[in-house]
Amino acid sequence: MAWQSSSKATIARGGRRKALLAFTLVTGFLLGACGKQAVRASEKEFLADRIMQFDADGQETAADEHILSNREGSSGGRGTGGGGCGCN
Amino acid sequence: MKCSAILGGLAYLALPIVLPALVTVLAPNSGAIAHAEDRVDSTTTWYQERRKGNLGGLTVVHPQFDIGVDVGDNTTLDLGYSADAVSGATAAVYSTDAVSSATTFKDLRHAANTGITFYGSRSSLSLSGNIGTERDYNSIGVGMSAKIDLPGKNTSLALSYNHGFDQVCDFDNGLATALERRPLTRQQLCKKRQFLRGEDTSGDSIWRDLSLDSSQATITQNISPSVVAQVGLFGQVVRGFQSNPYRRVRVSGVEAQENIPSVRGRAALMARVNKYMPSMKSAIHAMFRGYTDTWGVNSVTLGLGYSQYFGTSLLLRTNARIYQQSEATFFKDAFFYETEGSAGEYFTGDRELGAIRNVVGSMKFSYIKFNEDGGNVLGVFDEVSFNLKGEVYLLDELPADPIEENREGIDRQFLSSGQAVDAFTLQLGMLFRY
Repeated sequence: MAWQSSSKATIARGGRRKALLAFTLVTGFLLGACGKQAVRASEKEFLADRIMQFDADGQETAADEHILSNREGSSGGRGTGGGGCGCN
Repeated sequence: MKCSAILGGLAYLALPIVLPALVTVLAPNSGAIAHAEDRVDSTTTWYQERRKGNLGGLTVVHPQFDIGVDVGDNTTLDLGYSADAVSGATAAVYSTDAVSSATTFKDLRHAANTGITFYGSRSSLSLSGNIGTERDYNSIGVGMSAKIDLPGKNTSLALSYNHGFDQVCDFDNGLATALERRPLTRQQLCKKRQFLRGEDTSGDSIWRDLSLDSSQATITQNISPSVVAQVGLFGQVVRGFQSNPYRRVRVSGVEAQENIPSVRGRAALMARVNKYMPSMKSAIHAMFRGYTDTWGVNSVTLGLGYSQYFGTSLLLRTNARIYQQSEATFFKDAFFYETEGSAGEYFTGDRELGAIRNVVGSMKFSYIKFNEDGGNVLGVFDEVSFNLKGEVYLLDELPADPIEENREGIDRQFLSSGQAVDAFTLQLGMLFRY
């Protein structure tokens, strides 16, 4: 295992802790915003617009993931399509 | 163990999503309404990567075709087909001069998928399956996803799980040690039975299993009438043969088949936000993703996008994405393998496992026409859209080992080395809803 850099591993662990902390804070913020009255149904006009939907073009998203997963070492974790308009 | 814990944690997180989704979907008086329209969707992507060595580039043509139909009020059935027609140059041996050993190849891959989605008033449950086949690879996948909107429909929780039963064709190396293993060549049979399962041919080729378990949980939240955000957690465990069976690596004078670990655990965190600007009829998009895996690849992705309407039917979207990753612990520059030997028991020439920086810039034009005042578009459709997208990829390959210890440098160890603009794509898509 001499070829492994212990300092690199320590940095990676530190980075992961920071990422996990940031994720926890963002998730906490979002869950804190949960509530029936966060945005009323009558206020969802803009949220329903296609440019506010995550991954509005499913085939484009699939093609992008296909290309990037063949160019980069990481894959997955790109999110879920749709949006928060709740207007199905 | 760590990966099992991640997947176990995600499965535990799933219960509050899957169970209410099941109950809501299956409830007899769910108040469900028709949630989707029938649609036909087709996109073709042309991907062109530049190569050194006067052997041409790497070309991939990727057509996709999907159709979705409502089956009753609460159910949608989806069917899809895609293909990859690949041709171009590849490096036969990872070495300080991979360019001179490059060869050309052609391959064709077919994939099909199907899915069924059940809708409740605030939830949906999807089951999916996919198959893929090419000369040296078979894949079968099954998946399940559930989504539920909390009361008020400002918060959506989603969870998905997928399992892949893949097979990779390999040269039958018998009991040879890592440094004695020979690579697969195009001459090997890679025989199949029943189209999707491989059949071993003693002394020629064998099929190796590869299983993939993936899970993802996301929360989507309306922050305000013009801001929506999403956070997600992803985990994956891959077990089995993950080497490129064709690739050789020059290790201390021996050219042996690439040898990498058989288990890989992946985890990623993501967050993204969309902000609508009513006065300009536009939106800005931002995203972040952090990724880590048990092979030592750590990466960060940042993305920024902008969408702008022109009139009611024209939409322009631009996007910039910056990605950087560290190398796997066993990835070394070719000079290291040639002079020092393997990294532990492993050696690889996979560019994706090296330290790289990938910058992507894209621009997409869409023409979207909805039915207005009760009339149909072209007399038939509720919505028609045409999309044209162009994308440019800039790549930096970063040294894995100290530059002063690498006399040969890294300028010729990949066919793509030393080119700022590495690739581009052109994409043409059409969508019809009716």
